[in-house]
Amino acid sequence: MIELHRVSKVFSVGPVKVPALTDVSLRIGKGEFAVLTGASGAGKTTLLRLLYRDDLPSEGEVEVLGYDVGALRRSQVAALRRSIGVVFQDAKLLPARTVYENVAFVLRVLGTPRREIPPRVFDALRTVGISARAQAYPAQLSQGEAQRASLARAIVRKPALLLADEPTGNLDDAMQAEIIDVIKAIQAVGTTVVLATHQARLVQMLRRRTITLEGGCLVKDEG
Amino acid sequence: MLGFLIGEALRDLRRAGRVAVSAIVLITLSLAALGGFWLLSSNLKRAVTNWRERVRIIVYLKREPAPSEEGALLERVQRVPGVAGVAYISKADALKSLKQVLGKDASVVAQLPTNPLPASLEVTPAAEGATPEGARALLARLQTLPEADEVAGGVGWVERLSQWQRLVTTIGLGVGAVLAVAAILTVTTATTIILHARRDEMEIMRLVGAPEATIRLPLLLQGMLQGLLGALLALGALVLAHELVAPRLEPLVNITLGLSHLRFLPPTSLAALLIAGTVFGALGGWLARGSREP
Repeated sequence: MIELHRVSKVFSVGPVKVPALTDVSLRIGKGEFAVLTGASGAGKTTLLRLLYRDDLPSEGEVEVLGYDVGALRRSQVAALRRSIGVVFQDAKLLPARTVYENVAFVLRVLGTPRREIPPRVFDALRTVGISARAQAYPAQLSQGEAQRASLARAIVRKPALLLADEPTGNLDDAMQAEIIDVIKAIQAVGTTVVLATHQARLVQMLRRRTITLEGGCLVKDEG
Repeated sequence: MLGFLIGEALRDLRRAGRVAVSAIVLITLSLAALGGFWLLSSNLKRAVTNWRERVRIIVYLKREPAPSEEGALLERVQRVPGVAGVAYISKADALKSLKQVLGKDASVVAQLPTNPLPASLEVTPAAEGATPEGARALLARLQTLPEADEVAGGVGWVERLSQWQRLVTTIGLGVGAVLAVAAILTVTTATTIILHARRDEMEIMRLVGAPEATIRLPLLLQGMLQGLLGALLALGALVLAHELVAPRLEPLVNITLGLSHLRFLPPTSLAALLIAGTVFGALGGWLARGSREP
């Protein structure tokens, strides 16, 4: 499902080279729930970005869902991303569209037949428990609701892989627990989940495989 | 999918707001200018064509030929290269014409002791003889006829009219081109604003694996819509201007150019203006296409 072989990523800031990941190798199997943890700047987000080909590795190989990510053509990048759902700390909802429209937007841009869209959107909204707020605009949502809507958007295409980058970073404890329950439910139906968080409490609460990064190096992989 | 793309393009157009309106106005102005000059030029061209068809060269004869010689003379002139037709005007016919021209003053002709008007040949040039060079060559050839006393006529003023027509066309193209460039750049500005406004949407679209065409087509479509709207407004303005101005100008045009009415642009020209507007808009949208991700 996911395989990183001796992956390094170096950012150039003018003449200065800043290593973000150094010699990282790991494997995450189909249907697994992996928690990527480490302090801010440890390389979690960089690693996730390599997985959905938002960036390229400086060295090493990244294989996701059978694609050699470093060698993908533009059309193949789109094909890879159609199998991946991504959620971020900020929900990234489109402010001028309702929750329903935000989720439906994904299906529409991918050319889903019009009649298939409403049932699939409501199915996703029910899965994350926000169907009652379908007609609300993002500004009318609590942070927890916005994150649920973002999750609905990520899973509406039933992706094989869900990448969550600090999805509970802006939430209080109660809301965190709710979001984590939703993500667990998504994994329970066979979706592979990679969740990045710097919150140690959340890692303890999850009790899943935990991959720890420190200064861009993989220092621990347990559970 | 097409409905989605058009819907997104309309949404983008609303986002661009006043800049899109400016772009539409500029496209309207450029195409109205282009169409206006085109209208003028096409009517001048009609006048030139009409006048070219009416060009005649008169060969004044040294003496009136005997009736038995007329046929042979006409046949000989008809065979001169560049001649489409020839008619014989006898001295009597010439005097009759003069009387008709003089109208109520025709009585002065009766006081003449003899008919002073020469017999002549009215030569209609062929198409090649209706150009300045062709007419000059034809005049020279007719001058060599032994019966010819003097040869008069030419196409000089028709050519001057033709030059005016070409000048009007050039000015129209120049003004239209300058305004078109301004319009295209304004569409580019409007599209850049849209790009900025929809960067979140584009990010989401790329994130979920939307094809690049789906991401970029709405930008191109909104540019085309701006162009099409501008072109439609320009056509409306041209129709209105023609309806209002043409009836007032027609008497003057009739006297000066010999045209009974000012003809509006044909459907093919209108279609060309619509296509031009759409292409201007598309070009503006394409120029603002922005950078792709790595």
